[in-house]
Amino acid sequence: MKNLYRPIESVIEDIKSETPNITTYRFRPKEPISFEAGQFVELTVPGVGEAPFTPSSNPNITDTMEITIMAVGTVTEALTKMKVGDTVGIRGPYGNGYNLADFEGKEILIMGGGVGLAPLRSLILALFDDVDKYKKISIRYGARTPEDIIYKNLLPEWAKVKNTEVLQTIDQPHPDWKGTVGVVTVLLDDLPLVTTVGVEGLPFNPETAVACVCGPPIMLKFVNVALLDKGFKPENIYHSMERNMSCGLGKCGHCMMGEFYICKDGPVMTAAQIAEFDDPF
Amino acid sequence: MGGDRPGILGVAPSGFQEKYDTPFQARGPARMKEVFIGSENLLKLIGRWAKDHRVYVPVTFDIMNNEETPDYDLVKDAVPETMQLHGAAPAHSAKTFVFYPREVVANYPSSDAEANVEAPSTVVVGPRGCDVRGLAKFDKVYWSTKHFTEEHDDPFIIEKRESTYIVSIDCTAAKETCFCTAVGGKPFAEEGFDLNLSPLGAGCIVTVGTERGASLLAGSDDLFREVTQEHKSERDKNRASVTEAVDRQNAQFAIDQPYDKRDLASSEDAWAYVTQNCVGCGACNRVCPTCTCFLLVDQRAKGGYERSRNWDTCLSIGYARTGGGGNSRPALAQRLENRLRCKFEYSRDRYDLVTCTGCGRCIDACMGRIDMREAIKHVVTEKAKA
Repeated sequence: MKNLYRPIESVIEDIKSETPNITTYRFRPKEPISFEAGQFVELTVPGVGEAPFTPSSNPNITDTMEITIMAVGTVTEALTKMKVGDTVGIRGPYGNGYNLADFEGKEILIMGGGVGLAPLRSLILALFDDVDKYKKISIRYGARTPEDIIYKNLLPEWAKVKNTEVLQTIDQPHPDWKGTVGVVTVLLDDLPLVTTVGVEGLPFNPETAVACVCGPPIMLKFVNVALLDKGFKPENIYHSMERNMSCGLGKCGHCMMGEFYICKDGPVMTAAQIAEFDDPF
Repeated sequence: MGGDRPGILGVAPSGFQEKYDTPFQARGPARMKEVFIGSENLLKLIGRWAKDHRVYVPVTFDIMNNEETPDYDLVKDAVPETMQLHGAAPAHSAKTFVFYPREVVANYPSSDAEANVEAPSTVVVGPRGCDVRGLAKFDKVYWSTKHFTEEHDDPFIIEKRESTYIVSIDCTAAKETCFCTAVGGKPFAEEGFDLNLSPLGAGCIVTVGTERGASLLAGSDDLFREVTQEHKSERDKNRASVTEAVDRQNAQFAIDQPYDKRDLASSEDAWAYVTQNCVGCGACNRVCPTCTCFLLVDQRAKGGYERSRNWDTCLSIGYARTGGGGNSRPALAQRLENRLRCKFEYSRDRYDLVTCTGCGRCIDACMGRIDMREAIKHVVTEKAKA
């Protein structure tokens, strides 16, 4: 029988610093790993252990995989000591991704907070591959300071893609920042809806529009409230749930939330699925 | 199992039926053939098994504090004189034979795509009704079922499950902490075994549950006699008397008002009260016949690294902790609540099982003397007051 716990050897091909503690790694697995946007993998730092990450690269590329990682724990700290040419392990993919067929013909709102934009990047790249299928792609991104913004060079490029807009904010005023200031929900204050008086361009139809949210738990909580308030349907709000997915197989129990295993039923879950929980985030 | 018995811990009230739709249950029609074997001949039969299999039997250990709970020992040259088939369940649950406390599950970097599992043919004599019922949770979590896809079959559990013969035994006595009948079970197994032994005064009735079980009896016809009406009525009398004893000692934990499993989602105060004496040691998880959770640990080993799977406890603070320090259950009371609701609520929703089998081991093992029967009653009663 196939061994579910075996990591696939993967060589670090490139390391790119995004912020002082966030880095994008490009890995080349010995066996191609294909995934859907939103699914996650278990990354092994040899002898240290595993941690779950959603890839940041285009899911249509299977021979290499990029993951943008913030150094915050045992595995991620150990990863910062590794160099190009070193070997790590990857298992997966696991869990449910976004059902892109459901997104066709709709406005898509992408809300990222901090390093939470990293998993959304694989979704964004997948959407860009079929950009004509979607009415509109609105990327709204909040970071703590200008220094904490990831994909600094990519964001302006994304804004040039057809039917795509990029809006940004930072939490606190900063001398180098001329744009919007405030936590990421401020980017929802003026969200154009079909019902908005005098609306121009491509407004959101909250009855059908899709929102994909990823960021710290506190952000998910407030964005969820704000979106429901705007009339978005719970079944169209997709959250990336953060739990301690360890085996990825629905067995070890670490990511359990009530009867759900986030590694099987998530990590992408709709607001409708988690509505029964008082504080799911 | 489950069903019409009044579940004092709330198993039956909503008419909930457990579903044992696991690969083990699908192992072929139970023939339920029965034979009688005398005590001397049973020793011979177990001795024959020991030639071809690893055989574990419950024995009483001579230990300093004179505890009498039997536990499993490997049959080596002869069946130990201290073998004890009577009484209540052995100290360890049957899960120990398919889910090892620590097991290497991968070596890397150069690991085989196929799992390398050591699963010698093993006969386990001694699991009780509660233990057999507990294995159903393992089958559902680790074996391919409608719940998960085949690609997530766990070779380490499945191969051991396939190579392990379950020879269950009827309880002939209840210990104080037994409460199987309160959670829809019985002090004897009706399914899920290869063979079942019903101990009588002068021997046992052997019931065949599966074809594999029948294979353990093949070639030993010289040892068996026909089951008589007297044998059957002795067994029925024993089963009824142990059932009655378990019912009687748990009457005090009965919950008067009807309630739904969701009533376990009670106030924080009720769970905090229940948790007062909990130190989060996880002893309850380790002895539990249905605790399936594990921790993966990587470390250096010969030729590279190895990954082991270790029994884990959902009561530890690090269990749900994520990178960066987030924790969905930072308080011990939240973790104990999660453990008990997992047994009575989450497993019902996910696996169609009540995964407390009433074996009472968690009560025996708890250094804080937390009794989950009292805990559940307290939480539900507080909810009713609110």
